[in-house]
Amino acid sequence: MLILSRKIEEEIKIGDSITIKILGIHEGQVRIGIDAPKDLKVFRAEIYQQIQKENADASKVTKSDVASAVQMLKQKKNNKEK
Amino acid sequence: MKWTNIQFGEMEYDAKHVLTFPDGLIGFEESKKFLIVHDVDSEPFRWLVSLEEQDLSFPLVEFSNTHSEILGKYFSQENVTLFAVVSIKPEIDDSTINLKSPIVIDTVNGTGRQVVLDDDQLNVRTPLVTFSPVLAE
Repeated sequence: MLILSRKIEEEIKIGDSITIKILGIHEGQVRIGIDAPKDLKVFRAEIYQQIQKENADASKVTKSDVASAVQMLKQKKNNKEK
Repeated sequence: MKWTNIQFGEMEYDAKHVLTFPDGLIGFEESKKFLIVHDVDSEPFRWLVSLEEQDLSFPLVEFSNTHSEILGKYFSQENVTLFAVVSIKPEIDDSTINLKSPIVIDTVNGTGRQVVLDDDQLNVRTPLVTFSPVLAE
């Protein structure tokens, strides 16, 4: 891993089209500005991992899981209406 | 055209209904061709069925109509439909839908993407039971 030290307002360039700027540092949090082409996906790594896990969980769901969920939701709705 | 999926068996479909996902789904980047499948027992949920991996499918729920504010805020095109990936757990209260990174289908050119919306109000694990209005239809 390449390790660079940067001060506030300083930038890092990745290739021709990506610029990362250190905007501020406050109480252990770093604010980073990212300029990148629109088609490039940029998001927090933990969000990506969460989505990956949700997709993996969803891919294991079966037709009968969904059918019973539908029944349970209907039941919940009926109970509410009573 | 024909395709066999382990859950849905042999399916016949029209080539014009094939959806192309140039980037696949997050964590499932290899699968690029999908169909949206309606299954009577799963209504109002739908299924996103891979046309490349026989054991790959995802339950979905459409939310363009119930959450039109999200549609209006992030997507300018009219020909866009939003689906959330649904994760069903043994306890219905633990089941969730992912509103943070919807499946966006362009109904005109037949492409799909899983996007990540920059909105802290939207949750990857939104309880399904808070979303049950879809069953009122």
